[in-house]
Amino acid sequence: MEKENIIEVKDLHVDIKMLEGLLTPVRGVNFEIKKGETLGLVGESGCGKSITCKAILGINDKKCVPHGKIDFRTVDDKEIDLLSLDPKGKEIRDIRGKQISMIFQEPMVAFSPMYTIGNQINEATLLHITKDKKKAKEISMEVMRKVGIANVEKRYNQYPHEFSGGMLQRALIAMALVCNPKLLIADEPTTALDVTIQAQILELMKELQKEFNMAILFITHDLGVVAKMCDRVAVMYLGRIVESGDAETIYANPQHPYTRGLMGSVHKIGGKKDERLFSIEGTVPLAMNLPKACGFYDRCDARIEGLCDKAEPDLVEIEPGHQIACFNCPNAACQAQRAAAEARIKEEEARAAAEETEDKKGGKKRGKR
Amino acid sequence: MEKDNILEVKNVHKRFTSKGITVRAVSDVSFTVKKGETIGIVGESGCGKTTLGRCIVRAYDASEGEVFYRTEAGEELDFLKADRKKMKEIRKEIQMIFQDPYSSLDPRMTVLDIIKEPLKANYPKMSKAEMDNKAKEMAARVGLNPSYLMRYPHAFSGGQRQRIGIARALVLNPSIIVCDEAVSALDVSIQAQVINLLKDLQKEFKLTYLFISHDLSVVEHISDKVGVMYLGKMVEYGSTEQIFAHPRHPYTEALMSAVPVADPKYRQERIPLKGEIPNPANPPSGCYFHTRCQYCTEKCSENTPEYIEVEPGHFVACSRCDELNLRGFDYSQLQ
Repeated sequence: MEKENIIEVKDLHVDIKMLEGLLTPVRGVNFEIKKGETLGLVGESGCGKSITCKAILGINDKKCVPHGKIDFRTVDDKEIDLLSLDPKGKEIRDIRGKQISMIFQEPMVAFSPMYTIGNQINEATLLHITKDKKKAKEISMEVMRKVGIANVEKRYNQYPHEFSGGMLQRALIAMALVCNPKLLIADEPTTALDVTIQAQILELMKELQKEFNMAILFITHDLGVVAKMCDRVAVMYLGRIVESGDAETIYANPQHPYTRGLMGSVHKIGGKKDERLFSIEGTVPLAMNLPKACGFYDRCDARIEGLCDKAEPDLVEIEPGHQIACFNCPNAACQAQRAAAEARIKEEEARAAAEETEDKKGGKKRGKR
Repeated sequence: MEKDNILEVKNVHKRFTSKGITVRAVSDVSFTVKKGETIGIVGESGCGKTTLGRCIVRAYDASEGEVFYRTEAGEELDFLKADRKKMKEIRKEIQMIFQDPYSSLDPRMTVLDIIKEPLKANYPKMSKAEMDNKAKEMAARVGLNPSYLMRYPHAFSGGQRQRIGIARALVLNPSIIVCDEAVSALDVSIQAQVINLLKDLQKEFKLTYLFISHDLSVVEHISDKVGVMYLGKMVEYGSTEQIFAHPRHPYTEALMSAVPVADPKYRQERIPLKGEIPNPANPPSGCYFHTRCQYCTEKCSENTPEYIEVEPGHFVACSRCDELNLRGFDYSQLQ
């Protein structure tokens, strides 16, 4: 594990056994986040981004079976493979909420309506920081103040229904930050909010990131928010990362057909008005019983018949820090991968043909006897 | 009513009363719509944009005000005062597409029945075969596979369901469609498909859209004119270019500065809005926006600003709009 990285996800798979077959929402995801950096994980619904981040914390449903490796650098500079820990054991509970914490999508759903906001924020404080109730309350209130909740003494004893959406999201951030985590996972933290509130929350997150020097894994499908927040971007499709790189590179020079389509389908303010938006035909396929092919094959406008439906490209580096998984790119690394895949397909076809003729011969011989 | 206007909304109010508390969801909204235009209505949640849309199709009865409508036959009348029979007739021409494609379709009806339902309700004498034909034609037009029409809504994805909703609205051959957050629940790539479809249909059937949305980039793309609402009032109304590049109301300026632009190089300075949206049951005195406005003076809390035309087609409700120099989107940075 490299020194400046806080987390390295290596070849992560998540399988879900269902009656109809094996569902594979995450199929070999690799990424790393440096200390204090923001990585944006972008993709449409159903591409596996939420399952990926839940796998990091080990809070997926029992049916989800992860394998692969998730290396995390703890506060005392030890490297731990999070997947090797028992999801109900003491070690992961010591990390979850303290060193890695999470902000959920819908603040209205994430809080329990039965307890006061203060009570729920205090839960983390009491568990991880201090057992002294008075002190814990003070710490929790301090964090609430920091995230911009006014009149904390009164707010502390209020219930979630007495908060507006934006305030509730602030409270959720306070809950996630109370233990100064090293890594914050934000799963669509502003999707349910209005633009003005969204801008406030994003700015707040940026400020707090600087103050605590934490890394953020930012999950969203809003490309505008990504442009504002993230240093690096990873685009996910059907359980795999198809392109990753610096935010500026990806926006200025998207290389994977899916990324290009995604960028084209968002209307940019200031763009030409009469122009039709670029739209990617079809929908995301269900991640079940997938053939050995590029996941984007059906919807791709740059597919190569006879290659993309027979082999799946891996992520290769096309320029420093910019990786894509596509055969159809003029870059040398992609072309090398393409040639290798074509050779492999040819070889397999030749072998299959040879086996077939042998079978026929064998059949004839048997017939003669 | 002017000659090329299809809709004139005049001083519409909508109040809801519950347990003695009155909420002014829409207060004193006026604007005009020309035939074939797309009007975007934007604002934060709770600002009354959906209520306004529903008042216009008369899903709610407005408390006060008039909605003049020019029928296809050329007749002008106040839709809000039309009797039941007349209303039913006009409703054929004013249809609605709803926000949530999951809850707006009856799960126990087949898709064909869903698309046919408006025909059944409005043309009871039409033969079954003709209804089927019309429904199938419309389904094919919006991009649904005709062989799937006997299926139920659960078998369709979000984008497909929204197409069903669009087919249902179009089957009566309306002239105005109120799209209430029609693409908000969809993924971006699907959003683009549905927006393109809406634009194509507009050209083909000469539709007029009232496009209610909180997504400003979508509104900028699709609309000819934009109305900005705050706390039940229309604070600014004008062409898309006027609103986005040269806003005249401080709330519009703040709203524009908060929109995330999909370009990491774009630098924008956000204009902070103080505090939260006031309670609509107890709105502030004077200008409703003065509690959060950075340009607010003492006068703003006393006098209610008038909704005036500052340049042709550009209406603003701000008493200081002449002296302020507000910033919109920096288009030069975006090209």
